[in-house]
Amino acid sequence: MRHPSTLDLISALALAGPAIAIFARPSVASHAGKSLVLSKTKHLDFTTPRWGAPRSRSSVAPAAAREFQRLISRRLLRPHLQKRELTRSTGRRLNGGAAMLSLSVLADSAVEHYRGSFQNRAMYSPLLVSVLTLGASLFGTADMRAKRHGTRDAIYTAAAATGCAGLGFHAYNILKRPGGWSWLNLFYSAPIGAPMALALAGLLGRGAERVRDTPQHGRASVFGLPAGRMLAAVTAMGLAGTAGEAGLMHFRGAYHDPAMLLPVTAPPVASLLLGASALRPDRALHRVTRWWLRLTALLGFAGVGFHALGVSRNMGGWRNWSQNLLNGPPLPAPPSFTGLALAGLAALTLIERAETNA
Amino acid sequence: MPERFPGYDVLKKRNSQSWNDQTREVIDRRVAINPNLHRFFNEEEWQTMRAVCERIVPQTVARPHPVPLAAMVDEKLHSNAGDGYRYAELPPMREAWRKGLAALDAEAKSRHRRRFHDLTPLEQDAILTAVQTGDAGDPAWHDLPPRSFFAKRVLHDIVSSYYAHPTAWNEIGFGGPASPRGYVRMNFDRRDPWEASEARPGREQQARRENARVG
Repeated sequence: MRHPSTLDLISALALAGPAIAIFARPSVASHAGKSLVLSKTKHLDFTTPRWGAPRSRSSVAPAAAREFQRLISRRLLRPHLQKRELTRSTGRRLNGGAAMLSLSVLADSAVEHYRGSFQNRAMYSPLLVSVLTLGASLFGTADMRAKRHGTRDAIYTAAAATGCAGLGFHAYNILKRPGGWSWLNLFYSAPIGAPMALALAGLLGRGAERVRDTPQHGRASVFGLPAGRMLAAVTAMGLAGTAGEAGLMHFRGAYHDPAMLLPVTAPPVASLLLGASALRPDRALHRVTRWWLRLTALLGFAGVGFHALGVSRNMGGWRNWSQNLLNGPPLPAPPSFTGLALAGLAALTLIERAETNA
Repeated sequence: MPERFPGYDVLKKRNSQSWNDQTREVIDRRVAINPNLHRFFNEEEWQTMRAVCERIVPQTVARPHPVPLAAMVDEKLHSNAGDGYRYAELPPMREAWRKGLAALDAEAKSRHRRRFHDLTPLEQDAILTAVQTGDAGDPAWHDLPPRSFFAKRVLHDIVSSYYAHPTAWNEIGFGGPASPRGYVRMNFDRRDPWEASEARPGREQQARRENARVG
């Protein structure tokens, strides 16, 4: 017999943990240790464009934490360095988004390519490259230096290239099967959209390095275009593509659970909002976008909980893990949305900052 | 003929995640069938039945656990667990078997003056062939159509009993009930680690190694 109480607990934890991490007061987060998400959130708020202005939002935070923040701000951020701090912290947040994406790719491709018995030697490459990307991204998140890092940049380039090559391999896998380009093969052979997550991790990582490299009195730019808008566009397309992949797979699953509609509704809206925010300098729009992106980030974590529930619903439940982890909904897939949403939030900050400076 | 799935034993999956308690219970009961127990057939029918089973699925290879075919069919008839359908030209399952076995014996006596189980395998095969083609003409068949009896009862009940037994599963590399664990590598020529490995020419040793790990 299954024990629904255990599952409820897993789902609740999957929901509550990230919720706290994302929405918690940054001052609380700054106390809360060094975990990836928490350290990202901390800097997310330390470095909003409102930096230096009276921080009305932190009035709820404990006085001690406020004092701690103030001390750090004095030490690190003399006013003339604020801009440099902004590009550095945004770069680090983008590194964080890339970390989340590459973690998702690592776990997902490990499970799915193991299932594919590593039939083709190339099936090892996303594992290797996503491990490197994850390492580079974590290093980037922890690296307080403003400068671009050559090795990180090279790894991100490799990730982007591997992702694009993977797209080709997966397309080949679909086309070589009887029936070729058909719904059946799109559903059941190598998932066409999956390698793009690695390509996105690489692109966002490269963006992170470009943003870090912004000269002290220059504008953050990527490939000669305004960094914020450029990255927002990449992220918006990534969100739309990932939602398309989720749509394909959830259609295959016949949307048997209403929650399966969430990843085909929330992320596309986030994608549209982010795209609109890149084009229109509208404060209200940006605020809505920010909250919607946070919601999407949360959804990525919640998806793991929902997928865990899905695994438990298969015959034999978690006791039958060696089948159901492979056959059931993939646990590592949903956090791609979180990675993209975090990158979108960083891009939004860059856009807003560019507008205030203009 | 060399073994196709060398070293494969489906019962090694018994305590793995592949089977749950219900599956274990059903298979345990099947494996524990006493080959000499017969509660439906009387002694004469039992002798004929065993001889028929020997000819329909001869188990010539020495096996530690041959499939107890006659006892399995007896068990089915004793519990009277039908198939859920009946061919209109045949009487109900139990009646068809009693009449059919009696007619086989009568056919043997009218042709060879001996009972069916006393005949040589070739003589037995000739009679079964006559039943299969509808050439069996002994009056004992009466209203039982021999061809239907052969196709819908003899083949159906004996062959499905044979392939319901783990010994036959080992022979054909079948994994037994996929309950609760089924399979995740669905493409052609892919194999889950809990699946039998086939000894295609040149990979006999590899198949034996892989089958040793099934469980």
